[in-house]
Amino acid sequence: MNSHPHNTFDSHTGSGSGEAEATLRLIAGLPAPEGLEERVKAGLHQTLHQAPRSASLLRWPLTTPHDPMRSGSTRGGWMQSPWLRGAAAAAIVFVVAGGGWEVCTRIQPAQEPKAIALPPVAAHGGFSSANAIRTPKTLNGTVLTHPLPDAVAGKKGPDSSKKPVKKAKAETAKPLGH
Amino acid sequence: MEIAPSAVQDEAREQVEEEALDALVGQYASTLYRVAFSILRNPSDAEDAVQEAFLRVLRHRDTLGEIRDHRVWLIRIVWNIVLDRKRRSKTRPETDDVAELARVLPAHGLSAEQRAAAAQHHAHVLTCVDQLPAKEREVMVLSAFEELTSVEIASVLGITESSVRSRLFRARNLMADLLNHSRSLR
Repeated sequence: MNSHPHNTFDSHTGSGSGEAEATLRLIAGLPAPEGLEERVKAGLHQTLHQAPRSASLLRWPLTTPHDPMRSGSTRGGWMQSPWLRGAAAAAIVFVVAGGGWEVCTRIQPAQEPKAIALPPVAAHGGFSSANAIRTPKTLNGTVLTHPLPDAVAGKKGPDSSKKPVKKAKAETAKPLGH
Repeated sequence: MEIAPSAVQDEAREQVEEEALDALVGQYASTLYRVAFSILRNPSDAEDAVQEAFLRVLRHRDTLGEIRDHRVWLIRIVWNIVLDRKRRSKTRPETDDVAELARVLPAHGLSAEQRAAAAQHHAHVLTCVDQLPAKEREVMVLSAFEELTSVEIASVLGITESSVRSRLFRARNLMADLLNHSRSLR
């Protein structure tokens, strides 16, 4: 590496690393085997002709801009006409949609079952309601069969809240008097 | 049937690309082989690596015109292939290296005994090289190629030139320590 004008690394010949570099230089300078280029070229040509171009896209439109078939020419230039291209696209859409519609009409929806089958209840070992029906609790108090008289209903108006308080005061005053 | 002009153009372009590829092979196959061999140390593996590198070039031949320095670009491709292969392959015993080196190293005027001793010495040195950290080892191996400048090595490894220099400095120191240590054990 030091003999070459391009390589600017310092020489370390003689030291420990110099030995290593001498060995590496020796290996780096080994000639390539004979016929290497021909073998590589042969391999490349074989690959090239087997798979010409891996990712090539179809050209659209199918003719080049310099193609004389372009712009209304009758020799296979029907693809250039926008009307015909539109008609072809419409025909494709029609066929695809028609096929889809036919498939939809042929498929019949599943009929709903007329009776609902309950899942089987385990006779033993499982839990069941034993045909019990939960009923809500009703009121246990007295039930009025007829409406209250008006006098009673009038007394139990706004003053009804004060009366118990007076009674309570009277009851508490009696023991003090004794 | 009439052949479309686009097909003719495609054929012509493919012909040009093929010729360019052949030119690259003729110009750089030998260099790439030596780079591959310096890491793999096996002729058939190195040749396979070169073939794979050019196959990659073939796949990306559309971008050939955008490459500034084909040589460094190709070395970088083969370098990545070789490192990948080395990583995947099992480590070979040192005896394999000795036998391989004795076969391939030049032996002008050397007796069979001297040749075997030289091969053993080189194999031992290479074992020490393999003990270096990967970054330092890579720089040291590439710096052995006279045609590669420090800038080009930096480009192959994807680092700066100053990193190349500092790594090479560390590699040399470590290598000296390793060789001295192995000598003291003998």
